[in-house]
Amino acid sequence: MTVSVQRGIQNLIEQIDAPVASFFTSCVHCGMCADACLFYTETEDPKYTPIHKLSLMRRVWKQEYTFWGKLFKAVGLSTPVTDDELAEWEPLVYDSCTLCGRCSLICPVGNDIVYMIRKMREGMAASGHAPRDLKGATYRAATSGSPMGVKLPALQAQMRAAEKETGLEIPMDKAGAEYMMLLSSMEIMGFPEFIGATARIFAKAGVNWTLSSEAFEATNSGIQIGSRDIAAQLVQKVVDAAEKLGVKTVISPECGHAYTALRWEGPNLIGRAYPFKVMHILEVLDQLRAEGRLQTTGTEDARLTFHDPCQLVRRGGVVEQPRNLLNMFAPNFVEMKEHGIWNWCCGGGGGVSANERAKPLRLQVFDRKKSQLNEIGVTTMVTACANCRNMLEEGLEHNSMNVEVVGLTEMLAEHLAD
Amino acid sequence: MPKDLTLGEHLRRQGISRRGFLKFCAATASMMAMPPGMIPVVAAALEKARRPSVVYLSFQECTGCLESLTRSHSPSVEGLIFDAISLDYQHTLQACAGHFAEHIREEIIKQHPGEYLVLVDGSIPLKDGGQYSTIAGMTNLAILEETAAHAAAVISIGTCASFGGIPKAHPNPTGAVPVTDIVKNKPVINVPGCPPIPTVITGVLAHYLTFGTIPELDDFGRPLAFYGDTIHDRCYRRPFYDQGKFAKTFDDEGARKGWCLFELGCKGPTTYNACATTKWNQGTSFPIESGHPCLGCSEPDFWDAGSFYEALSAPAADVSKWAGAAIAAGAVAGAGIGLKSMRKRKEAAQAHDPVTVDDLKT
Repeated sequence: MTVSVQRGIQNLIEQIDAPVASFFTSCVHCGMCADACLFYTETEDPKYTPIHKLSLMRRVWKQEYTFWGKLFKAVGLSTPVTDDELAEWEPLVYDSCTLCGRCSLICPVGNDIVYMIRKMREGMAASGHAPRDLKGATYRAATSGSPMGVKLPALQAQMRAAEKETGLEIPMDKAGAEYMMLLSSMEIMGFPEFIGATARIFAKAGVNWTLSSEAFEATNSGIQIGSRDIAAQLVQKVVDAAEKLGVKTVISPECGHAYTALRWEGPNLIGRAYPFKVMHILEVLDQLRAEGRLQTTGTEDARLTFHDPCQLVRRGGVVEQPRNLLNMFAPNFVEMKEHGIWNWCCGGGGGVSANERAKPLRLQVFDRKKSQLNEIGVTTMVTACANCRNMLEEGLEHNSMNVEVVGLTEMLAEHLAD
Repeated sequence: MPKDLTLGEHLRRQGISRRGFLKFCAATASMMAMPPGMIPVVAAALEKARRPSVVYLSFQECTGCLESLTRSHSPSVEGLIFDAISLDYQHTLQACAGHFAEHIREEIIKQHPGEYLVLVDGSIPLKDGGQYSTIAGMTNLAILEETAAHAAAVISIGTCASFGGIPKAHPNPTGAVPVTDIVKNKPVINVPGCPPIPTVITGVLAHYLTFGTIPELDDFGRPLAFYGDTIHDRCYRRPFYDQGKFAKTFDDEGARKGWCLFELGCKGPTTYNACATTKWNQGTSFPIESGHPCLGCSEPDFWDAGSFYEALSAPAADVSKWAGAAIAAGAVAGAGIGLKSMRKRKEAAQAHDPVTVDDLKT
């Protein structure tokens, strides 16, 4: 069956569960979510009000699950969702939402709006209304294993380079290792120094870890485009590899949505619990610090701040860990005014950075981060998500701002005590 | 009483000092929630006011309202201002009787059309042609229609005239209705209460004499200056309500300590009147202060709103029989709808056609 409106609506009917029904019922139309959304605050265009992005899903809910909606539909007083409407909503659901979850946090009646956007994307994808670039990335992820088409030989080349640089062995497919490390394509291709940094830290801390040749990709395009079928397939690959190697913990790298996909959505997607734990690299590093296995030396004297990846703080609760780590060596660490769970998104999450059509909009909304940085006047910004990092660099360059963006793991590796 | 005298002149003839008059003006101004700067304005206006003719009609009533107005405050200055309007027709107070009395009413209508005030006390029976209450061979309805037709305004004194009151209470054998059901083309001010507070009646009259206008009214036509707050909001026992301290019976410790009477049926929370602030018997006390819950007498249909001694939160009727069945039926219906929705979702999931890479080819 090919993608179609009917298939999209059918998918939405399937996605509307008890939480969604209660969210739509409890919505008081206050519009507070607008002010929580980067895309509204920077454009002041009311169409970017988060709950408005769900209007079509709300109509399907009404028509299919409520008394009056069913009645109105039966007598022709409300029209079914059309293909044109889905096309009109596509940029709202994909280009102007980074799934950052700030709206969910601010909603006075506790509606998890981002949870619903994620579900609405299921219907959009099934109806064929997903952005071209996201379709391409998901296609590559499902066929080659990586949204950027990164294959094993490319990783092996980067591993060899890291081994040369650090003089350490990068373990691959080591059965019985405690930790299985995942990477994102962005790290392999754009920020390969992450591999060497991880190897050095783990060697110092005496961590028994490995990579897997069968599942090294952490990101999950299925989550971003909104296809649980493909998302489940990608999660299954990681689970199979981890079970084969018998690891106790799988580490999500410096990436936001990969963590959400694997830790929170994964077990629901494959329909069973994992026999291993999933931790973000920052959680692992902070645990090593707490156990006294991580010693640093020297200080990072630049005035720096930390950009919280949305998925880590709002969806994952990883707030204190990066601060604990930074406080080991960064005396000039300052917070942006809104930080932690209230941080502002970089503007490129949830598949927006992979979507070329969204580029002018995401650069426009980067103004928020720009003014946040200008308020505190830092020269370095630390983060823990390769996608944020990419977007931040793009935004800073566009605005000709002289701020260096660094991954926290790499910065930590630079300060390891001998 | 010579009608060409101003109110000020008339009061001095009656031996009321300027000081006594100003005290009344100050009390009136504060009662109507006007700033102190308004006192001289009130005094000047009242001083110069020509006393309008007043026709006081008594229908299905108990004369309690008139008792409240005249006796309990006599001989205070409030009583005298009543004297100072030209009260030309009032069954209980007028000296003359019979045809002569009715003649006076007719003369006022003829001589001062559009100038006189009509005060009505009591409800009007409509059933069986209104025969349940007649005066001088005329039904109350005919008298009211004839008198109100040329009046400047009508003031309903008491709950019977304002809302029908006790005559209108179930089963309403006489088909009693309030003044507002009959008089549609004149301003009507409702001054409910069973009876109303005397100073509230004189205050409404003073407002009319001072400004020549109808005061600001609430949705029930009551002057907001006196009926703007609930008894509960102004009650001196309110702190006990907020602390959850309630008298459970009339002779328990809570009753002796003066705790809130809510659980004994006090209607203060839903009753708008000035009892808690203006009080009764020249400011001596009010029902709650003497240990009895408010009956809610200034509210429409207060007589039919369940027992006076049933707490407001308790249902007025016995709902226990059908409430259980209604809840059960609601639960069954809710569960049924829920199951139906769940089945729909399950069917959609079973019919799910997985999105594959082929769907993503661009």
